[in-house]
Amino acid sequence: MIKEKYIHQKELIFKNINLNQIIMVKKIALMVVFVFVLQSCNTVKQYEKAKVNSTEMKLSAKSTERYETAFQVYREAAAGANGGKSGGGCGCN
Amino acid sequence: MQNKLVIVFFLFSALVFSQETEVVKDTTVTFKKRVLESTEVDFMLSYYNQDGVHSSVSGGIGSEKLTDIASNIVVAIPMNDDDILTIDAGISAYTSASSSNINPYDSKNPTPWQSSSGASEQDALVSLVANYSHSSDDRNFIWNADVSFSNEYDYTSIGFGGGISKLFNDKNSEVSVKVNAYLDQWRPIYPGELRNGNFSSYNPLFSPNFVAWDSTARNSYSASISFSQVLTKKTQFSIFFDLVQQDGKLSTPYHRIYFADKPDYYVGNLSFVPNYENSSNAGVYRLADAIEKLPSSRFKLPIGLRWNYYINETFVVRTYYRYYTDNWDITAHTASIEVPIKLTDKFTVSPMYRYYTQTQSKYFAPFEKHLSTEEFYTSDYDLSSFNANQYGLGVSYTDIFTSSKIWKFGLKNIDFRFNHYDRSDGLSSNIASLGFKFVMQ
Repeated sequence: MIKEKYIHQKELIFKNINLNQIIMVKKIALMVVFVFVLQSCNTVKQYEKAKVNSTEMKLSAKSTERYETAFQVYREAAAGANGGKSGGGCGCN
Repeated sequence: MQNKLVIVFFLFSALVFSQETEVVKDTTVTFKKRVLESTEVDFMLSYYNQDGVHSSVSGGIGSEKLTDIASNIVVAIPMNDDDILTIDAGISAYTSASSSNINPYDSKNPTPWQSSSGASEQDALVSLVANYSHSSDDRNFIWNADVSFSNEYDYTSIGFGGGISKLFNDKNSEVSVKVNAYLDQWRPIYPGELRNGNFSSYNPLFSPNFVAWDSTARNSYSASISFSQVLTKKTQFSIFFDLVQQDGKLSTPYHRIYFADKPDYYVGNLSFVPNYENSSNAGVYRLADAIEKLPSSRFKLPIGLRWNYYINETFVVRTYYRYYTDNWDITAHTASIEVPIKLTDKFTVSPMYRYYTQTQSKYFAPFEKHLSTEEFYTSDYDLSSFNANQYGLGVSYTDIFTSSKIWKFGLKNIDFRFNHYDRSDGLSSNIASLGFKFVMQ
């Protein structure tokens, strides 16, 4: 009985909401969860950051990686979102 | 789409302000450490070579052989306790078989498959970037401004921008916003057969769809938002979100187009015409029907995520993922992983792998597949559908005590990387880069 009621409610919801909206809602729900997860992170004190502050843990590309990024920008259509330059120069050779 | 963006910004803001309460607690600054203790100098070099079979100069076929040598010197100077001036000067010189064929007709045996002796075979790019940054007394707020300039034979770029960063939550969270504008200018070089307008000198019937550009500007505007978070003592991540708008001449003036519905005209030894599309063509070149034509506007939306994990004193995992989409119908995914392995206190080796895949632009078609009735057309395989694998190794030497010295500078770090890149359309390349970091004593 409860299961039938659940299926009926689900059908009603699907009649009124199209697939794109459902996907959108799922995305938003995921982001809300994400935000709450971030907020629930324990604060790491400065004296506890020896590991995350090590050179290899940096959240940026290494300085010599710039040349790889440059040729990738030339040879691929996608660019940006890597903390580097996202415009300028023709990149046409 | 706009709704999605609004929601993203709303949630982002909610996160930032939720962390704001933590800022009040973060007032235990006991002394002010200099942002940069002394002048640092980075000297970097790279060598790049590639080869492929889809030259866009020859309309989507032909040699893509190219060699490039680049070097940069980056000097970071502490102006006072809070401010840093960084100057980045670079020069890059290349030789390219593809570019040499912008005008292949000075050769006795012109062919898309070999380099000609055209003046455009080689060029140099010079660049200069100046960046000034200021950190607040508690080091929780940073602003920076930059100007840039780059120039090569047929292209000049002037850029300027600025950004702010705010650290929260005992410096465990950081939000950055950056904006940049690049005002670029072409000095267009057209394929040799289209330059002087005297088309009949090649063939009395030759009549390409060609009109010289009436404008030569290309402008790029970008806004970047990033958020980084220390999750645990061993984990941190960052999210990058860019909005890029480009306007103006987004085509390249020397990329040839060959239409399927236009007659073919050749220069050279006509016995090679049956083999025109393969490398056994040793002496004939086909006159262009047109040059590449692309819309004057492009909107790009890349979203990237970095996640780094410190496994133990020996191993670290560095990962990166990017989703990219634009209004030319290109969607791309990039994923990379690097695992630095600390062999000794001074030496680290880093195997790395990167995978990339993209869908083709709606304006792309291969050699001789476009129709002259189309509004836009390109045969540039950088805009085609492909996937690519890149794998390599990095070796890093670090001496925190800078015991090796050159004049007043101590050597802090040497970084070497080598990568091989294979694209599914046949292009392959190698890149080696070497960097030295010196610290003024």
